[in-house]
Amino acid sequence: MLRRIYRCVLRLHPPAFRSRFGDEILSIFDEAKGGLSGFRLLMDSILSLVRQWTLRPEFWSESVSAPAPQAALDDIPSFCILSPFRPRLTAIVPGLILSIAIFSLTCVAIKYSWIRVLHVRIREVQFEAPQWIPPNAGRAVFPDRTTESVPHDPAATSSVPNADAQTPEAASRAASKTSTPSALATKAHKNGAVQPLPIPQSTAQQSKGNEIAPSSLESEQTAAQPLITTAPSAFAEDTKLDAAARHRVIDGASVIVSKYYVDAEVAEKMVIALRDHEANGDDNEATDGPTFADLLTSQMREVSHDKYVAVIYSAFKTSEDTSAPTAEGVARYKKEMKQNNCTFDKAAILPHNIGYLKFNSFPDAAICGPTASAAMAKLNHADAIIFDLRDNPGGYANMVALIATYLVDRPTHLNDFYDRSQNSTEESWTLPPVPGNALADKPAFILTSSTTFSAAEGFSYDLKMLKRATLVGERTSGRGHMGAPHRIDDHFTIRVPSIKVINPISQTNWEGTGVEPDVKVKAADALRTAINLAEGNLQK
Amino acid sequence: MDDDLHSFLPLSPATLHILLSLAGEDLHGYGIMQEVVRQSAGTYKLGPGTLYDNLQKLIQREWVEELGRRAGDDDPRRRYYRLTLAGRRVLEAEIARLAEVVREARARLRIVRPSTAKPRRA
Repeated sequence: MLRRIYRCVLRLHPPAFRSRFGDEILSIFDEAKGGLSGFRLLMDSILSLVRQWTLRPEFWSESVSAPAPQAALDDIPSFCILSPFRPRLTAIVPGLILSIAIFSLTCVAIKYSWIRVLHVRIREVQFEAPQWIPPNAGRAVFPDRTTESVPHDPAATSSVPNADAQTPEAASRAASKTSTPSALATKAHKNGAVQPLPIPQSTAQQSKGNEIAPSSLESEQTAAQPLITTAPSAFAEDTKLDAAARHRVIDGASVIVSKYYVDAEVAEKMVIALRDHEANGDDNEATDGPTFADLLTSQMREVSHDKYVAVIYSAFKTSEDTSAPTAEGVARYKKEMKQNNCTFDKAAILPHNIGYLKFNSFPDAAICGPTASAAMAKLNHADAIIFDLRDNPGGYANMVALIATYLVDRPTHLNDFYDRSQNSTEESWTLPPVPGNALADKPAFILTSSTTFSAAEGFSYDLKMLKRATLVGERTSGRGHMGAPHRIDDHFTIRVPSIKVINPISQTNWEGTGVEPDVKVKAADALRTAINLAEGNLQK
Repeated sequence: MDDDLHSFLPLSPATLHILLSLAGEDLHGYGIMQEVVRQSAGTYKLGPGTLYDNLQKLIQREWVEELGRRAGDDDPRRRYYRLTLAGRRVLEAEIARLAEVVREARARLRIVRPSTAKPRRA
């Protein structure tokens, strides 16, 4: 054994030295074992190894054939190999192992390094940035309450917003409210929405509400592009608006507002305002689409003070049903989520075993459920958990329910969605407890900012009302309504909030007011504050 | 030439002992090691690594030359080494220097007594 190590050390010597003296040294080792202890010999060879590589550079390049052929004393010629140094075949295997080991070590070092310079991060695609929420905020907010099944079911998506309340969807929605697993399963199956989620009923329980204008985030995007109001270059001259055309648009808008707007009284006020302005001739100057759309928007906002309401003009003809997601749209959304890690930015254990999760939207649980579950599983043994929603513009209610599930030990009523157009209310609950979840009784903190929108506000608000989380940061933006754009004609669309969130505890929501944090600090300081709070909590 | 020689002095203990052991007869590596032990009465033990590291240097300086293998030896891997003329001159110069040191030391030690009165402060 010792001899083997000794030989290895000898092999590590510079080639010239090794080939010239290696055999002799080994022969001495074999002979000297009696005199000197093996350990001493080994130390000696290690010392010489260090000396050879550090102090004798002049010998490194010495030709291997240095000992010139020389006749030995008894005149028997001795021959030397003249070919240049080549590694032995057997040396390649240890070399390979050594290379792999070093490579693996480097990888591990990069992964677990505190130095983030080498941290590889895929740039995020801002698919739902607050900046472009205004054109279609109604849907960007809670694109649908619970409609994760929709993107998977082309049949279901064909149900348009003004579908009759007595449609099979409505009936099945009523059935799903019974919340029995079998009913849910049936419903889910019907929607073709069964996904291999870690929580078996997640898709099932949430796959109700198809009667709401179905929309995925992706369809948001596709719908938004042609809806951008500022496209004057594309505005064709032959579409100049005359009084009749304007009247048609106002009529269409009035019908939609009356029918869908969450508050019937305010809806009436807006309709009256539109009519009055038209009668007064205030609209006569607006002969192009964008100007007219902006004018109508401001007229309605004047009386409603609701920034959701917007008339949107598109130079391009909008399709019959802008809200139905296309198969490509769904595929693109899926792909985007995959590339983005479902907008789950960071899941880490901070010092003092505090879990930290930053996610920049509430993606569709039907697509991103496994990612979310994996992130939560990573933090499962944390002593406290911080959710960073400072850059979260919202998303799907099913993801709100999925993540909230980890913070409670039984299915918990989060909020209700009141749909004015249907005059119906739907309940949103957390899912059945996740087996092995250890976070249900751990302190939770939510970081908020003024750009925390919609579903992210809902998550904060619900958990605040349940007294399950401490909110740290800034007051949120205040978007508690949601709705889809409705088509007025080929070029005009109106965004009307038609669904209102009602929290079962407060009996209201955060619309207009925003969600007030428990600990008010600047968004930039929120993480530090929350960590301090969590540490203080844990020391108690 | 003498100046050149003196630039190498003093020799390291290993170099000195190797040169000294080869002064009498040609030896192989193990022979050198044994001879060194004998010369120093066991106080200086030279490992093979150190030995060949030094031998390499000495061969390069042409103080020692390699003779190759000898037929009929116990171990065919052994090679023999011999002190060159240059090596012998360096050794002589070193011995002369050492003799001077010893002489000087003896002279001094007769005058100065080792002070043992006060213990050293740590």
